[in-house]
Amino acid sequence: MLIEESNVEIETSPVAEVEVLDQVTQPWQVMILNDPVNLMSFVTLILRRIFGYSEEKATDLMLKVHSEGSAIVWTGEREKAELYVQQLQTHQLYAVMEPID
Amino acid sequence: MELINNDDGTWTLSKVSELEHLMLSRLPESADSTGCEEAGNRLFPSPISPEADFDNEKKSSADSDWKEYIEPELRVEFRDSLKIVADDLGKAQMAKDEEVNCYEFNIPTAHADYWCSALNQARIVIHYRYNLPDEDGVLDMDPNPEKWMATLQSEIYGMLMEFLIKKVLWVA
Repeated sequence: MLIEESNVEIETSPVAEVEVLDQVTQPWQVMILNDPVNLMSFVTLILRRIFGYSEEKATDLMLKVHSEGSAIVWTGEREKAELYVQQLQTHQLYAVMEPID
Repeated sequence: MELINNDDGTWTLSKVSELEHLMLSRLPESADSTGCEEAGNRLFPSPISPEADFDNEKKSSADSDWKEYIEPELRVEFRDSLKIVADDLGKAQMAKDEEVNCYEFNIPTAHADYWCSALNQARIVIHYRYNLPDEDGVLDMDPNPEKWMATLQSEIYGMLMEFLIKKVLWVA
């Protein structure tokens, strides 16, 4: 594929274009992994604060982390996912993210 | 140990026994993960899930960016919390509770988050440094006195965190 711009012809690969588009549009999920130290009340408090979740929803997610080993707490674009992971890690929660296929 | 609302934007942690005061005075040094790789990895983990379907090159790049840009910010936040807590602890005063020596000191409401951060950092480092059991509330008489003291220290920190969460932060 050729792109004409100011008399300069740039050749781009369709594969590269798809990859870039995927990186922009691909949703990511933020997860909290269980750890043996964090207090349940602390995890619930931080989920309420960062995501604005109700006490009931935050408690449900905390219990899912505790019983199943992890819980997806948010899904969306990568940049925002990174921000949430940073905020959660600032409170020493074991937060990670991954792209959704 | 009692947490009392002064209704002036501060709380007083009173009836702090000499043992509890000793444990609290160890808080800043206990939160230092130096020499304990597991604790360091837990406090500053990769942002990418270990289960992620992400090729090694992309994961390595994400980890490297995280280490360069985010980890230093986390370190500053953690260090600032410890410094504020150390300052509050330095103002502890001797008191008496039914003729028994104890301590008391003020915690400004605005410092409650720093306290939780410092207590949590220390609990994480202690857990990995002394390889404590994963179960909650286990205070078995471990034959290793250092490990038993570490468990007690972690329990005291957890109890104070619960006070702060329930009484100060939950309602804020």
